[in-house]
Amino acid sequence: MSRPDKPDTAEGWLLLRRTLAEQKWGLVAGVSIGLAWTAGKVAVPQLTKLGIDRGIEGNGSLALWAGLVVAAGVIAGLFTAMRRWVAFRESRWTETRLRERIFSHLLTLHSGYHDQMATGQLMSRASSDLQQLQAFVVMIPITLSNVAMILAVVVLLITSQPLLAIVALAPLPLVNVLANRFSRRIHPAVLAVQAEQAQLATVVEETVSGIRVIKGFGAEKVRAEKLKVEADDIRRVSMKAARIRSNFLPAIDILPSLGLIAVLGMGGHRVIDGSMTVGDLVKFNAYITMLIWPLRNIGMTVALGQRAAVALMRVNEVLSTPSAIVDPPTPKRLPAGDRVGAVEFDGVRFGYDPARPLLDGFSVSIPAGHAVALVGATGSGKSTVVRLLSRFHDVDDGAVRIDGIDVRDLGLHDLRSAVGIVFEDTFLFHDTVSANIGFARPDSSHETIERAARLAGAHDFVMRLPEGYDTMLGERGYSLSGGQRQRIAIARAIVSDPRVLVLDDATSAVDPSKEHEIRDAMATVMEGRTTIVIAHRPGTIALADTVVLLDEGRAAAVGTHDELLATNERYRQVLAAWAVRDDVGDGDQPVATPEETLDEATGESARTRAVVTSDEGGA
Amino acid sequence: MWGMNAVSDEDRLDRGETLGVLRRAYQVASAQRRFIRLALGLVVLSTMVTLAGPTLVRYAIDNGIKKGDGGALNATVVVYVCIVLFGYVVGRLQFVTLNRAGEGFLRDLRVLTFQRMQRQSMAFFDREKAGVLVSRMTADIESMGELIQFGLLQFVSAFLLLVLASILLVVMSWQLALVAFLVMPFIFAASIKFQRMSNQAYLDVRERVGDNLSTLQEGITGVRVVQAYGQEVEYSKKFHRTNRRLFRSHMHSVRVSTWYFGLVEFAGIAATGLIIGVGGWLVHRGSVTIGTITAFVLLLANLFDPVQQLSQLYNTMQSSAAALHKLFGIIDAVPDVDEVTDPKPLPRRGEIDVREVTFAYQGSTRPALESVSITVGDGERLALVGPTGAGKSTLAKLMARLYDPTRSPDSGLTGVVRFGGVDLRDASLTELRQRIVVVPQEGFCFAGSILENVRIARADATDVEIERALASIGALSRFQAFPDGLHTEVRERGSRLSAGERQLVALARAALVDPAVLVLDEATSNLDPGTEAEVERALERLMSGRTVVVVAHRLSTVRRADRIAVVDDGRLAELGTHDELVVLGGRYAALADAWEKSQPTV
Repeated sequence: MSRPDKPDTAEGWLLLRRTLAEQKWGLVAGVSIGLAWTAGKVAVPQLTKLGIDRGIEGNGSLALWAGLVVAAGVIAGLFTAMRRWVAFRESRWTETRLRERIFSHLLTLHSGYHDQMATGQLMSRASSDLQQLQAFVVMIPITLSNVAMILAVVVLLITSQPLLAIVALAPLPLVNVLANRFSRRIHPAVLAVQAEQAQLATVVEETVSGIRVIKGFGAEKVRAEKLKVEADDIRRVSMKAARIRSNFLPAIDILPSLGLIAVLGMGGHRVIDGSMTVGDLVKFNAYITMLIWPLRNIGMTVALGQRAAVALMRVNEVLSTPSAIVDPPTPKRLPAGDRVGAVEFDGVRFGYDPARPLLDGFSVSIPAGHAVALVGATGSGKSTVVRLLSRFHDVDDGAVRIDGIDVRDLGLHDLRSAVGIVFEDTFLFHDTVSANIGFARPDSSHETIERAARLAGAHDFVMRLPEGYDTMLGERGYSLSGGQRQRIAIARAIVSDPRVLVLDDATSAVDPSKEHEIRDAMATVMEGRTTIVIAHRPGTIALADTVVLLDEGRAAAVGTHDELLATNERYRQVLAAWAVRDDVGDGDQPVATPEETLDEATGESARTRAVVTSDEGGA
Repeated sequence: MWGMNAVSDEDRLDRGETLGVLRRAYQVASAQRRFIRLALGLVVLSTMVTLAGPTLVRYAIDNGIKKGDGGALNATVVVYVCIVLFGYVVGRLQFVTLNRAGEGFLRDLRVLTFQRMQRQSMAFFDREKAGVLVSRMTADIESMGELIQFGLLQFVSAFLLLVLASILLVVMSWQLALVAFLVMPFIFAASIKFQRMSNQAYLDVRERVGDNLSTLQEGITGVRVVQAYGQEVEYSKKFHRTNRRLFRSHMHSVRVSTWYFGLVEFAGIAATGLIIGVGGWLVHRGSVTIGTITAFVLLLANLFDPVQQLSQLYNTMQSSAAALHKLFGIIDAVPDVDEVTDPKPLPRRGEIDVREVTFAYQGSTRPALESVSITVGDGERLALVGPTGAGKSTLAKLMARLYDPTRSPDSGLTGVVRFGGVDLRDASLTELRQRIVVVPQEGFCFAGSILENVRIARADATDVEIERALASIGALSRFQAFPDGLHTEVRERGSRLSAGERQLVALARAALVDPAVLVLDEATSNLDPGTEAEVERALERLMSGRTVVVVAHRLSTVRRADRIAVVDDGRLAELGTHDELVVLGGRYAALADAWEKSQPTV
């Protein structure tokens, strides 16, 4: 059976060597300590033999030999502890520094890369793959000292009783052979078990997520049958793995015993003959017992090494991917001044698949301080336009300019501090409210943050949070409503104080009855600042001076909302299509943890509604 | 690796609970008891085989070699070979038997937990986090599986070895046994200390690993925000900090355990030294033979390993017991929406009558609904509107008995929901699900074919019936046009289908049941306009001739309803037709106005 990963691992081993070379001295220390352990360990049976032959059977000093054995024990004990410590330190260090390298690199990789890669994939590069590497590195000092031990023991035995040594050691290489064959056979079996477990997990996961459907139709039995099939599958493949184990492990256990029996039989007769001592017999016995584990261990380490090499190749794939979006060799600077922030899209062509351009001949010029609403159907490329502005992607043709300078000529950091984006999905970090708002300027004072929060209309609800600005947010933190998250995101953009502000459908997560609150916040921030707002609700569109209709990759029409409504059929169609999707209320599906969020959610929505009715009713 | 299993203090079970869990596990394993007993017997045998080696060496030295009796030596060798071969057979059997028992147990445990979990009410699923439920049934049981494959055998055989070897030592020479036992208390004390310290350290590692993975994931999913604000360097630093904390935590766990491995290594060798010293002195006095010394030296190597294994496995055993305890929590939970033993039959059709119904989600102090009364006539179309969290969906779900009403803290009444005059709690769930069908917000699909997905609604439906159901909502041709037709695999969560197609599947399920009442939770998610229209048409066909309660999010839906109920703050605020409510000038009128305004003038 040839293994598919064998030919490519050569590159993996090379990578492994290069990675480990960076920790050369730590590893050398580990191996040296390991060799000291070997010395102590190998001395014991020899000293035991001398103790028996000279101290017990002869007339030598008992205390001397017993003491020497204990001394060897001190050495072996001390160095095995140190070896473990160094081995773990080196291996964890490899893992730690590579993980940091991967993470830092991922943060610099262009958007297109992240669009393609699933989060789970990248996560496993930085976690499980590195663990495989760690599992191998930790074995290096241990395995090398074991190899030294095997060599030393073989030499010692052969020089003292060559024939007996050969007979006694003969079964031992088989231990190695069987252990290797075992790990080859068991690996696919273990993978099969894991695959079946994953299938069962899918059934469970689907059932829990789809429990409404199942309960609604009383389909519990159907799912239970399905699970039973998966559970039976797991048992079946697990038993297969168990049978492989039963084929190998007891056999591996029995082999050294055969060596021991040979020693007893052959060696016993030699002792009777007088060509060997009882001490030798004990020595042989002890040495052979000592070799069992190291021999099995070598096979295991080789298998671990192979897995580590493959894992490292996967890791290297990430690390060797260059970012497609990088700083220009000599970055230009944006002009300073009062009226800055003019944006120009000049004949822009771009497609995620260059063969099928999403934007083609898109030209829009936005004067400094002007607000533009970008309107278009789903998939018309609105979000893409703003992604081009902050260079998440580069245009295929044409140019995007800020204050007359091509964005590709600007330093990335400068460009991105000049453009502030409030994304459609308001991503908040697991950190305090303050840190989230001050994300763009981590050294912001509390005053700056509070001012931004007030401008974004977030201050009041933040003060009502359990710990105010120190409340932890994010997936594992306090859960905010969609509107609240949005306002935090707007405050975050305010702190960055950009020349050009982009509001990418910032109100889509909020139901229309609450949109006006966000709209007020948006209006405040937009004042005197170049703004591109992606919107589809008339109220939000009204915030902009000009509306650009994006259709078929071009700016199909430009004008005020009223003009376009009156003159442009396509504009009406697009807005009508959006209106169908808008909703009146929101589903009040039970919140996962009612005690935490239900009251807050209900309280907020009740208040909001009162405001809506009085505002709009009076207008 | 086994030591990496740690158990936190709040998870740790006391002795009584542990015994309870074991007793309960033995009950669940009723089908495997034969194998369990057999496996135990085999473990005893294989332990005895292990101990036979040194005993035979002792006999061979004292009675064969020392006496120069080659025949006795040869006889011992032959017996030794036989015992080793016997041990091989026992070892194989032991593996298979133990795994058969263990895997059988896990299989039954999976099936049982799943069945019991599904029996729980919706309230249970709202309460429990989905991720936790899934990991109970997967990761927790899998880790128990690993324990059974490797750990349990080691645990039992280590324990047996310790006991039997101790007895053997005493029988061979009580004086030397005393020397060996002198070392034992130290090893035991060290093991207990090690077990405690490493448990604590591993808990810390586990927490740090979690933190680190979260930061990692956050960085990857939030990469656009990080880049948009040019915070790559800052954010990398943040990750480095949690990453270094994890490294230190790892190193701490090595530090608190590494001395122990050194100590065990030392103790094993030191004991050999002591046996040589003391044993030699005893040999000179003639009270012990050289064979006994040899047997002791060989046995002591076996004596310290089990202690080390036991102390490492102890944590694993404890965390498995804790996991089992939680599983039994799911298995033994009494469902709060349960079936009566003697159900009343439901009429084919009838009105839905909600009387004085109060409902509070468990753990919430404020009721989500308070004293709501409403009657939906047979064939009537009722729209429920109101702000987020007001209780619209809750009311709809109570009408389908996904929940049961709870006692009102004010009036002390529980309230009742009736269909055709029968209290829903008195009906059989099977019949109830045939009369009243809930179509959830988004069409949820399971991995499997389209046919299988529709058949979820009625397991005994034939292919023809399913085709008819699809045809009745006008969706048959759309799915038949797929490459494999209705046999097309929709993949996990229906990812092969569009959102609209998934909704069509959900509607077809309802059509297959052909219920008297439809409870709809209207989708808020966006569909592309083309499918949107098709879903609308299908829904309209499905609704015709049935009683419909719809949690409405759209103007068009509300307009088509016979009556509108405004739910606000857990109460029924307004009830009437569109025109009546607009005239009333209350909340609905304001809402309808606000929402007219957000429509573009087309």
